[in-house]
Amino acid sequence: MKGLTFTLAFKPQFGLDLSPLTPDRLQGLNQGQIKRIKLDYGKGKVTVGEAFTLTGFDCENIEIRRSVDKLMRIGHEMSHGTITIKGAVGDYAGQGMKGGSIFINGNVGSWLGCNMRNGHITVKGNVGDYPGGAMPGDIEGMTDGFICIYGDAGNCVGDRMRRGMIIVDGSAGDYCGSRMAAGTIIVLDKAGEHVGFNMKRGTIVLAKKPRHIAATFRSCGNLKMQFLRLLFKQLADMGKQFAVFKRIDPEVHRYAGDLAYKGKGEILILQAIKTGNKAA
Amino acid sequence: MLIKLSGGIVYDPANGINGKRQDIYVRDGRIIDKPVAGSKIDKTYNIAGKVVMAGAIDIHTHIGGGKVNIARIMLPEDHRHDSVRKTSITRSGCGHAAPSTLTTGYRYTEMGYTACFEPAMLPINARQAHMEMADTPIVDKGAYVLLGNDDYFLRMLAGRKDQAAISDYVAWTIQASQALGIKVVNPGGISAFKFNQRKLDLDETNVYYNVTPREILKSLAKAVHDLGVPHPLHVHGCNLGVPGNLRTTLDTIKSIEGLPMHLTHIQFHSYGTEGDRNFSSGAAQIAEAVNKNKNISIDVGQILFGQTVTASGDTMRQYDGHWHAHPKKWVMMDIECDAGCGVVPFQYQDKSFVNALQWAIGLELFLLVDDPWRIFLTTDHPNGAPFTTYPHLIRLLMDRSFRNDMLSTVNKAAAKSSILASLDREYSLYEIAIMTRAAPARSLGLRDRGHLGSGAAADITVYTEHKNKERMFAKPDYVFKDGELVAKSGKVVKITKGSTHTLRPEYDKGIEKSLNTYFDRYMSIKLENFKLQDDEIIELGSGDIIIQPCN
Repeated sequence: MKGLTFTLAFKPQFGLDLSPLTPDRLQGLNQGQIKRIKLDYGKGKVTVGEAFTLTGFDCENIEIRRSVDKLMRIGHEMSHGTITIKGAVGDYAGQGMKGGSIFINGNVGSWLGCNMRNGHITVKGNVGDYPGGAMPGDIEGMTDGFICIYGDAGNCVGDRMRRGMIIVDGSAGDYCGSRMAAGTIIVLDKAGEHVGFNMKRGTIVLAKKPRHIAATFRSCGNLKMQFLRLLFKQLADMGKQFAVFKRIDPEVHRYAGDLAYKGKGEILILQAIKTGNKAA
Repeated sequence: MLIKLSGGIVYDPANGINGKRQDIYVRDGRIIDKPVAGSKIDKTYNIAGKVVMAGAIDIHTHIGGGKVNIARIMLPEDHRHDSVRKTSITRSGCGHAAPSTLTTGYRYTEMGYTACFEPAMLPINARQAHMEMADTPIVDKGAYVLLGNDDYFLRMLAGRKDQAAISDYVAWTIQASQALGIKVVNPGGISAFKFNQRKLDLDETNVYYNVTPREILKSLAKAVHDLGVPHPLHVHGCNLGVPGNLRTTLDTIKSIEGLPMHLTHIQFHSYGTEGDRNFSSGAAQIAEAVNKNKNISIDVGQILFGQTVTASGDTMRQYDGHWHAHPKKWVMMDIECDAGCGVVPFQYQDKSFVNALQWAIGLELFLLVDDPWRIFLTTDHPNGAPFTTYPHLIRLLMDRSFRNDMLSTVNKAAAKSSILASLDREYSLYEIAIMTRAAPARSLGLRDRGHLGSGAAADITVYTEHKNKERMFAKPDYVFKDGELVAKSGKVVKITKGSTHTLRPEYDKGIEKSLNTYFDRYMSIKLENFKLQDDEIIELGSGDIIIQPCN
């Protein structure tokens, strides 16, 4: 069956809320019904038919073309199926996602996969702040799932994250892994300041030692972490895009912290990546 | 401006009118007798066959004061999942269990309520509470001020000061905080919590002040009575939510020795310890005691299933409840040694034995208390359920088969241990009109509210009779507030400003001298700044102040 394709037909001036266009909410609707769905657009509304041209009918396989950074809440609370986006995406992509996968072939705004419960998000471009984070006031950010970012990430990667994994192939901004309760973040390029700020538990793996590590993280020396070997092997087996993990040695410099909080978390700084091209 | 509501079927218990077809005339916000023939009628509403009642009054609903704001701050998800768009006249808002002030006003009006009373205003927080109530449009409001755990009062009691001095202090507090009554929450218990006591029964002593809840209750009830405050002492008793607290509640009724007392959210105070799980219904004994003691009035504090938030001044009991917080976050705090504050979000589940039995206990109380003049319909919003569930609750009371259907869906063991299925009573419209209109107005001393007699304020609600009472009470056809049409078919059509009801009991001004010394020594603000002036309330935009007479 041919995937349901939405091609953006106008240049939005304001945020366009795409939360109704998920496999869950489109199930059982025909094209005519889908075209009549009303989307929040700025202070007003616009129908799907006005905003997009539609082709295909398989709502398990949604594609959004000519996407721009005004398209918000793509894949909101979706639980199955696939959404592929060609172009940039606005804020809150994959918010509260429960399953399925999202592929984004461009840059993404802030709050990517925030409060995500499960599922898979892959981004080819850069992302804004708070990927895998928590909405303001929430106790838990991402509680499970997998976010893979091939570009750079903004500040507060995995803020209040509880479980799951975030891999950033590029660099991460400040406050990477802030207030993390648990989970794993891997950054394969530079990370900004205040890594692991107020983290309770969890693991932050950095390829490069950040310029500054807070005084509330204590060095535990160089260790060979066997769990990393297993983790990297499994990641490498997931596909050739993760081939880089084959070349990473599990020897790390471990910092335990944040001692200002619970102190059960850790920052692991990789000691050796065998030379070769970066992932992807 | 003369308005005529023609052909409605009137339920006006305060004037003994039970379902009589009768025209109602309103002139300039007041209900009047039939005008002389030939008077020009400016507007006629043809409401032939529709049910007419006075605007409903909620005697116990947490709509202002610090704790609601804490609940709002703490529960962003409560707001995110329940947002209200702005319309051409109403403003946007949000919140299911702890709605914004504006949304609170709109929703109450849309349900036919025209007055709401905030039961837990701390003296030190009075300014904040009145500001929040000022922000609540359309409905009238008022508040009961919390005493009984504040340092000054407990010092007086511990120092065996004479009753007249205590009465003066009570009256001064009512005036300083612009209150309509006095409430006591877990008498002495909130204070005891700060001295590491985790339980305080009626005759246990507060270790610091060496006074018992019994003494506090008696002293305050006496003061309220002596001052002629119309609303009896509003009591949130000891041991809220503790299995076996039935005993304490019965003792509390006895301890007051015939003085008027209002026991609030009594459902939470009616638990026995029978059965395999040491948790059972004490509704029958409590109802019997209430039926027998005419000085006692109650409101139920019914729980209804779903997500809500419990906000109370009872730090001691809220701290105990925080283990059950859902979602897992909570706030406990002391407020300037005046009292406490505990906010714990909670989800009542119909499959849980305890929650299902709590639900049944509340309904049993409704059905077993004979006199609807002494029992008021509340959910202790938002502690038992948000006030938006009132129409559902009314249906449970008026429709036995619906009630039994609901009973069959809750936890089986709880349903079995409850006598609810055997209770045949169904409330009539007349009884509903008593418990939601006439009785609260009488209890609060609001002489021109809660009835439709000549001279009453024209707070009128018009319903279309429907078999499904939930539908009937959820969306009244017309709601008038002070003679103005404010809601039509369950939608707000006009925004007005409600008034604030207060009291001005007389007292010896000499008390300010010792209070002044106390304030200078211990309090964070000066006495003169502590007192809330009339101008502040009027300037805040809350409309006017109505001073209710004392007895």
